[in-house]
Amino acid sequence: MAVDITKSKCVYCGGCVAACPVLALTLFETRVVCDEAKCISCGTCVRACPMQAIKLKNKK
Amino acid sequence: MVFAMQQTYDVIIIGAGPAGTSFARVAAHGGLDVLVIDKRKELGSPVRCGEGIGAHWEGKIKLPLHGGAIAYKIDGAKCFAPNGKTLKTQTPETKGYVLERKIFDKYLAIEAARAGAHILPKTIATELVKENGKPAGVKARTFDDEVLEFRAPLVVSAEGMEAKIAREAGFADAVAGLYDTDTCFEYEMANVECEPLIEIWFSNLYAKRGYVWVFPKAKDVANVGVGIGGDLNEHPKERLDKFIKAHPERFKNAEVVEVKAGNIWVGPPLKELVKDNFMVIGTAAHQVDPIHGGGMALAIEAGVIAAETALKAARAKDFSKRALGEYETRWRAAEEGKLAKRLRLRKVLELFTDEDFNRVFELLDEKDLERVLNGDFKPVVSKVLLKRPSLLKVLKALI
Repeated sequence: MAVDITKSKCVYCGGCVAACPVLALTLFETRVVCDEAKCISCGTCVRACPMQAIKLKNKK
Repeated sequence: MVFAMQQTYDVIIIGAGPAGTSFARVAAHGGLDVLVIDKRKELGSPVRCGEGIGAHWEGKIKLPLHGGAIAYKIDGAKCFAPNGKTLKTQTPETKGYVLERKIFDKYLAIEAARAGAHILPKTIATELVKENGKPAGVKARTFDDEVLEFRAPLVVSAEGMEAKIAREAGFADAVAGLYDTDTCFEYEMANVECEPLIEIWFSNLYAKRGYVWVFPKAKDVANVGVGIGGDLNEHPKERLDKFIKAHPERFKNAEVVEVKAGNIWVGPPLKELVKDNFMVIGTAAHQVDPIHGGGMALAIEAGVIAAETALKAARAKDFSKRALGEYETRWRAAEEGKLAKRLRLRKVLELFTDEDFNRVFELLDEKDLERVLNGDFKPVVSKVLLKRPSLLKVLKALI
């Protein structure tokens, strides 16, 4: 499970990282990375993002 | 320091914001061997903040203000009801500054370095190192792409909202649940005429469970931003753009010179601030004012108190939770009561409809606003209820 982050919208504020209940997201200075093994696709980061830069990846 | 990297310290601080570097300055000044790591290459950036700070903190915590860090001096606050009615207050408590965070944060880091602290930017803490089940350091990736293990008997999280290492250390409530988070978007704009007043605009249309702010950085430059309840599924940028479009006179010549965003905690502080060999300070500890979302001064204060405690702990060679608990006791005695009062006020304001705001603004004068800001709710609530008993349901939490 994972999320898609639109890099052109992201301002690397870390709001998504702060909200993620399972510590799946990490902000590496200007790049948010999702640990797919930890992500539970709960969508909290999608709602937390002030820039609307995050979407849940379509489940296949 | 970059060229001769030692790996063992007395204390490792994660995060070089105001909390971390204030801790580092005091701890290094007291003789501790201190390392501050921060993942950013440029401290203070990206700005995710309105940059306002109250001048009354100067007496209380010897606010380390560098002239160049002050963008504009503020005389007071002006609050706007949804219908445009205003209430102004200009008291010693409402004097303040709007800062330039990029200069301020770097200046605090320089002051820490002058006191003897080691600072390591562009180095990210990736993992908490434990020994016998207790914190004993961090793993970090440096800008040389080296993974190093830094060891210290005390680790301090000054990580801000993200608080990842703090959560790894067992501070589960350091997660930013959306209900207690405001999600914020801000433009820094030129060609916006300002008085030297912080402007707070209440409105459910633009800023449900939050507010729109205009914080001047010069007579014609301002941070114009909005914070809204994080659980509302509303988009702060849309709301702010709407607000700006609704005030064409004010913003007709405005030019955006910086885009800023971020989330801020507006709930209660963490239930615990220390564990064995670990302290949490600043926004990571949710030490934020729940009314305006300001955290800089609280962070500096917490950093100083925590460092004073760490110095004692180091002398006694005791970094147990009990020994570090002095910081928690002192901080709670200094701030918790006041913050709890302001959280109660926040909860009441969250229930206000625009009509409620308009009515209350109609009934209050500037003295009342001062009383509310000082936490003296009773006389103001009585005054409002005398004229508008229907507000009892909303206001009863303040009685």
